[in-house]
Amino acid sequence: MWEKLRDDFYQNFIVDDRWKYITDGLQNTLKITFFAVLIGILLGFLVAVIRSTYENTHKLKVLNWICGVYLTIIRGTPVVVQLMIMYFVIFSFHDPGQVFTAVVAFGINSGAYVAEIFRSGISSIEKGQFEAGRSLGFNYAQTMWFIIMPQAFKNVVPTLANEFIVLLKETSVAGYIGLQDLTKGGDIIKSRTYSAFMPLIAVAVIYLVMVMMFSQLVRALERRLQRSEH
Amino acid sequence: MSIDNMDKPLIQVQNLGKKFGDMEVLKDISVDIYKGDVVCVIGPSGSGKSTFLRCLNRLEEPSGGHILFEGADIVDKKTDIDKHRQKMGMVFQQFNLFPHMTILKNLTIAPVKLQGKSEKEAKEQALKLLHKVGLADRADSYPNQLSGGQKQRIAIVRSLCMNPDVMLFDEPTSALDPEMVGEVLTVMRELADEKMTMVVVTHEMGFAREVATRVMFMDGGYFLEEAEPGEFFANPKNDRLKLFLSKVL
Repeated sequence: MWEKLRDDFYQNFIVDDRWKYITDGLQNTLKITFFAVLIGILLGFLVAVIRSTYENTHKLKVLNWICGVYLTIIRGTPVVVQLMIMYFVIFSFHDPGQVFTAVVAFGINSGAYVAEIFRSGISSIEKGQFEAGRSLGFNYAQTMWFIIMPQAFKNVVPTLANEFIVLLKETSVAGYIGLQDLTKGGDIIKSRTYSAFMPLIAVAVIYLVMVMMFSQLVRALERRLQRSEH
Repeated sequence: MSIDNMDKPLIQVQNLGKKFGDMEVLKDISVDIYKGDVVCVIGPSGSGKSTFLRCLNRLEEPSGGHILFEGADIVDKKTDIDKHRQKMGMVFQQFNLFPHMTILKNLTIAPVKLQGKSEKEAKEQALKLLHKVGLADRADSYPNQLSGGQKQRIAIVRSLCMNPDVMLFDEPTSALDPEMVGEVLTVMRELADEKMTMVVVTHEMGFAREVATRVMFMDGGYFLEEAEPGEFFANPKNDRLKLFLSKVL
């Protein structure tokens, strides 16, 4: 039994430096997730502000409409289809690299979900907070920035963290455009060694550890943010 | 008192109207508020008194009329309302302190960001005012650590930190436990003694009687009666006011 496991391990990870499929793949997964999160936050923030502003003041009608279309399309189609369209259709004339394509596709996808999270955070803040800000003389943008956003952000930290965990795991479909991410790395090893157990379990454990570490980080952040409330 | 004051009014409300959809909440209201006036607005709930107050700093968008304040028409869309709001403090029924900031930050953020005061300058002023309302030791607390009465006193100080020319109070004691009403009214009374111009929507008849320079009765979107408090409570003329007073006194 031990003998077999050791041999399995040796075949899957040591021979031909196959562990590099895992580490290289992990690097790509982290790269894609990190930059997609950045794009997602930026885009989501922007869309949420536009939508909330329209809800409160009925200004920015055209932008709000565009945002509505964006949300409908992105949330109504699978991310893997969006990724393939991005790579094989939109970037078909000029290949900017698979990682770049994946960052853009996952970023745009995540932005739609983050936008709704931010927007629900903003509308969870009592109207009185907004009125208090305005009555002191802050304009709309200042009131949003100094008074509404910090409170809204605090309220959505757990939901936002969950979205990023989902994003990290969703990048596992990147193999569809021939990108060698963590999942694809494990898959390649499997196809070389004809043994599925070791590489796939290794991949799963790595995802699990990343998610657990991230969750811990978020919990620490939540505790810090909460301190000011009491 | 306003009768003795020959200056131009601080706030001139002319033919103010406000509709919510088809509902006409304010109907053709005209009133002058002079420097040093303490105007108490009383009336049954739903009479439009809060809406009137909220129109004064355009938290509620008037449907018609004019509100002249320091040379500008507040109702005019071209008026830089944010600039004028800095001179009109507002105190809400629900306090509306900023829960994510310390008390000190609550008090200094507007003077620092809007009036260009230094943190130090704003802090000194805030501490001085906090001391006056007896809450200097709470500067580093967060709003959720305070009682309702303390919150409302802080909310008053927050407005005062902008050095306003008029203070608007929207039922400032209505959300308070009875034993905390007194401490807030005391602060307001001191403000009145310092000749702050105040417009107070309230159900506190005692406060109106003792502190107001003018009391106005609103019902159905109109001001039905206005008088000095002595006259107002002793000799009400309007029938609806008589009925109202008979219920609340």
